[in-house]
Amino acid sequence: MKIKILILALLFLGNSFAKSQEKYLITWDYKGLGFNEFVARSESLYPVRFFYNDEWIKDLKLGEYEGNLSLTDILDSLFRGTTLFYYIDDSQNIVLTRNFAVKIADAVGEEKQNYIPGNDYKGPVEENPSADNLVADIGNPADKNKSGNVIISGYITNKDTREAVAGATVYVPKLSVGTISNEYGFYTLTIPRGSHTARVSFIGMKERVIDINLFGSGELNIEMKSTLVPLKETIVSADKNITLQRFEVGVEKINIVSFRLMPTSMGESDIIKSILLIPGVQSVGEGSAGFNVRGGSADQNLILLYGAPVYNSSHFFGFFSAVNSDIIKDATLYKGGIPGRYGGRISSVLDIVPREGNRREFAGNAGISPITTHVVIEGPVKKDTCFYLLAGRTTYSNWILGLIENPALRNSRAAFYDINARVAYDINKKNKIDLSAYYSHDSFRFNSDTVYKYRNNIVALRWRHFFSSRFFSGLTFNNSNYNYDISSMKVPQEAFVLSHKINSTGLKADINWYPGSRNEINFGFDLTRYEVLPGSFEAAGDSSIVHPDIITRQRALESAFYIEDRYIVTDHVSVNAGIRLSSFFAFGPQTFFLYNDAFTRNISSVTDTISFGRSENYRTYAGPEFRLSVNYRLNDNSSFKLNYNRTRQYLHLLSNTTSISPSDTWKLSDYYLKPQIGDQFAAGYYRMLSKKKIEASVEIYYKVIGNMVDFKGGTNLIMNKYIERDLIDVEGKAYGMELLLKKQEGRIRWSVGYTYSRILIRSTSSLSEEKINAGNWFPANFDKPHDLILTFNYLYSRRFSLSANYTYSSGRPVTYPVAAYKIGDIVLTHFSDRNKYRIPYYSRLDLSITISGNLKSKKIAHPHWIFSIYNILGRQNIYSVYFKYEKNMVKGYMLSVFGRPIPSVSFNFDF
Amino acid sequence: MRYLILFITGLSLLLVTSCIIQFIPEIEEDKALLVVEGLITDQYRTNTIKVSTSLPLGKILVPKPVKGCKVSITDKHGMKYDLKESSPGTYITDSTKFHGQVNDIYTLTIQTNNRTFVSNPMEMKPVPLIDSVYYEKTIIDESNEFGIPLEGCQIYIDSHDPLKECLYFRWNFTETWEFHLPFSVPNRVCWKTNNSDKIFIKNTSLYNQARVTKFPIKFISNETDRLKVKYSILVTQYSLNKDEYTYWEKVKNVSENVGGLYDVTPMSIPSNIHCFEDPDEPVLGYFSVSALTQNRIFIQDKFLGSPNFYSQCVPGDTVFGLKPIPGLNVSVWIIEDHTFAPPIYRITTPYRRCADCTAEGFIRKPPFWID
Repeated sequence: MKIKILILALLFLGNSFAKSQEKYLITWDYKGLGFNEFVARSESLYPVRFFYNDEWIKDLKLGEYEGNLSLTDILDSLFRGTTLFYYIDDSQNIVLTRNFAVKIADAVGEEKQNYIPGNDYKGPVEENPSADNLVADIGNPADKNKSGNVIISGYITNKDTREAVAGATVYVPKLSVGTISNEYGFYTLTIPRGSHTARVSFIGMKERVIDINLFGSGELNIEMKSTLVPLKETIVSADKNITLQRFEVGVEKINIVSFRLMPTSMGESDIIKSILLIPGVQSVGEGSAGFNVRGGSADQNLILLYGAPVYNSSHFFGFFSAVNSDIIKDATLYKGGIPGRYGGRISSVLDIVPREGNRREFAGNAGISPITTHVVIEGPVKKDTCFYLLAGRTTYSNWILGLIENPALRNSRAAFYDINARVAYDINKKNKIDLSAYYSHDSFRFNSDTVYKYRNNIVALRWRHFFSSRFFSGLTFNNSNYNYDISSMKVPQEAFVLSHKINSTGLKADINWYPGSRNEINFGFDLTRYEVLPGSFEAAGDSSIVHPDIITRQRALESAFYIEDRYIVTDHVSVNAGIRLSSFFAFGPQTFFLYNDAFTRNISSVTDTISFGRSENYRTYAGPEFRLSVNYRLNDNSSFKLNYNRTRQYLHLLSNTTSISPSDTWKLSDYYLKPQIGDQFAAGYYRMLSKKKIEASVEIYYKVIGNMVDFKGGTNLIMNKYIERDLIDVEGKAYGMELLLKKQEGRIRWSVGYTYSRILIRSTSSLSEEKINAGNWFPANFDKPHDLILTFNYLYSRRFSLSANYTYSSGRPVTYPVAAYKIGDIVLTHFSDRNKYRIPYYSRLDLSITISGNLKSKKIAHPHWIFSIYNILGRQNIYSVYFKYEKNMVKGYMLSVFGRPIPSVSFNFDF
Repeated sequence: MRYLILFITGLSLLLVTSCIIQFIPEIEEDKALLVVEGLITDQYRTNTIKVSTSLPLGKILVPKPVKGCKVSITDKHGMKYDLKESSPGTYITDSTKFHGQVNDIYTLTIQTNNRTFVSNPMEMKPVPLIDSVYYEKTIIDESNEFGIPLEGCQIYIDSHDPLKECLYFRWNFTETWEFHLPFSVPNRVCWKTNNSDKIFIKNTSLYNQARVTKFPIKFISNETDRLKVKYSILVTQYSLNKDEYTYWEKVKNVSENVGGLYDVTPMSIPSNIHCFEDPDEPVLGYFSVSALTQNRIFIQDKFLGSPNFYSQCVPGDTVFGLKPIPGLNVSVWIIEDHTFAPPIYRITTPYRRCADCTAEGFIRKPPFWID
């Protein structure tokens, strides 16, 4: 295949199209020549160059020689009746296109250069940098007078890096029709023939306006340019038309450029922290790992990186996300309306889409802040077909600890690092593969010999195959591993290593099929094999008398098949209906005690034991998960959506602490632990106000969660072989309303989000030992009814911007002691009903200022500084409440984590 | 398990920026629940069961006894021993008739005027002798503001049961120390006694041997006067059965491992005593059945960097002459009396603890004290 790389950018530097080719009279006999031979000869005789794809012209032969004709006349007659078109620029380049013609601009002036990107040839293409508009003719002009709808489709790519732009909006305002590109950057739009104006937009990219003359179905590939400096975005934003177009309720897209600017606590932009600004997402408190979505616990969120689950999403006690923001292209949080392709967690899915790496040239970025430093490099191995991205991040907090006066802290250590690597290779136009790897490591110890370490490790291989322009498939094979170990050598006789591990291997196939103009069908399967080591406690060193103890590994297979159809019923109504059949098979070897149901499970209610052999399937849980969304477009400015989804979860994080603790362990559903089941009903109303500048939405939801677990008081979950004895079965219900008003354009951008939500829990057992609050509903730890989030961005200039955000939320519930008593000299307290009281409200204002060095594009490195102050009001927000006995009295204490403003500065530069 | 404590220590890292505010919770409830504090040992002495009601928070803890209960203990053979109310709410066994036997199983029954409370049957496990109680000097800070290292004292326990009969241990201690006032006052030498108020437990079922090595029972910082003259600690070691160990472990989790980022959800830990008429009624406290052994050590050593605890006594008033000092013994105390030779003066202090050691201790030497 002969493909010539063409820098088309050059083509458009001038605006006058020379007609000189007409002078090239063909005076030689070309009869019967193949097109290639004709080209070769023409190129040797005249100062012209041809650009085309061999495949198009392989059957093309030149006809009779009829005397001296100009080159253009010959091409005109040759291509007549084919789908091929050509155009000639003033550098005498002759570019062939298929399915559409390049329309030469009516001389509107230099501003309006015209260009249509080709769909099949591979040269990088570009619009005139000074103009956003282009004109495209699609289909055969001969069909001009036909009527009816036709389909245009194509890929949207980032011009600078050639990465696919997923989630970009293609919108035809006149028709109020639009669509969103899928994860491959592919979009499809069904509109009537005729002339239309389409707007293509995406956060952080320059909007493109394309005039389309639509004669028939065809492809239109679009390249978008990043805004020059990524300083222009506000915090969390979805494209304004997306909200109206999307099927699901409760889907938020977060773009990396948006949280780059977000004020931070330690000078690090952070994906989880930016998620917390979305209405309906909360956390237990500052620095707590994990987040709670619409009343779900933190382990009910599926965090996907490279399509693989991340089991521990935080570094450094939750102050940092485990995923380096350098590698993130965008992330989508599904609070509700979870598509059929996702499953396994009941509250939400956070799908982190990594950047692919720059396909064109070597590039990089590095940054430094008081706590961390990070570097990313990327570039092509082989231009446009093979490219890589490497990112690393590490902390050097140890030196800070070393400076602290307190000797206990001076002897403490805390460190983490993470590495991401990715190589992508386009085998050919139809097949693309990429291999990604992620490793994160945390280690800390506190003035003692107890060392705590944990690691996340992900490897994922993805193969994308394009059967046709309407049929895509993605096959992902991944392995995700999380393990921790806690060790102490302090007393050699008791030196131990305590470990926990979860390993999952998944094979996932996703197929997107666009049959016809109204349907988008997605189907596929998801197989995951789990192996969990609940805990092992082993001797460390020769003198240790620790008796090795290993809790039997859990093994299981989770499988799911799904199919869903996004169907446009009428111009106003569209439906997304799907079903996911998920099942879970737990395998031996495993031994369980059986208990007398009349009593709470403990050693004295054991009636029997039951053993299962190797690979014996001792428990199966299965069930359908229905997913349904209906979008009703009321008019051009507003839409109404309904959504129902059911989700099932077979993997549980055992935790009896307020927030996820680093020693919490994962456990699979087993003989006793049933899968959690969530049902969510949601409705939303969306409206564009003030000439579509302001986006307003209201979403309400009601959620029922079955088979949640809680634990009997004070239970030690580490190395607990008989968790079933400490379980308390609980169920949950959550409901809420989320209001959002945001303006995402102009120099001043802002958003106001208010959420009212409740999450209530009730124990379901009739046994008094397994009742919490006598079986009545009580608020969960993260029940914060009122939540207000304000964000503000002021883009003073390209070099200077200011952003602020403010968070208010109700205090979370806590349990107070109600009575005190003594055993010997030990004072103990009796606790009230669970979560009957609340800590004071939470309020925090953060501010950050970004200053860019300069914007000369020729400069080798583009520096920018971010100055930020976290908690500028210095409010001592209460994290937790506890009680201690002192001087004959039980006294209450409130702990606040960041009780004063925390300034930080970070320096970043792109190269 | 000890590594849980790590998270509490983790808190200290956050203390760099974090802060702790004391507050008084406003609690609507005012429940008075039955509290049972009972311990049966294998010793030839009276065993005490105390019955009281719980107290509201924010008040000085003085137990309210429950008088007039019928308290009895039944052994595994069904033999019943009645206890006698020696003082209100305190019920004692007759040491001539009853002492606990290792491997016996005891049940406690308490009858108040309208209800009956019964404990689970509790087995008494044997307990080994304490191998040793010993201490090590630890460096608190390599140099204080004067460049002197600060030393503290960490006291440890070693213990083991060669027969592996006692797998779960509990300890408590009573510490007594002699202290001297640095002034020539009549009550200059006193002793002070303090009981442990924390839960010390150890599970040796995780080990090949029922062995406890270097269990830290007490840390003495240099902020007290314990190490100035002579210090003694009496450690009592109790055997626990598994049920009681689990109880203490849970209680410790919710009451002591708090104040960090990862506090365990607070919940009341069910007692081993239940109300016969209403099983849902919470009963507080525990009926413990343990064998015990004891070990006492004395510490008389030089610890560096121990500060002067009486520095604030000195800027008292110096009074010359022999005229009476107004307010003496009410709000002013003499710490130096130079009335034998001129110049005659006396130094006074507004703090009684500077002039009279009985303000904080006892002047009578404890019977076990060895000089």
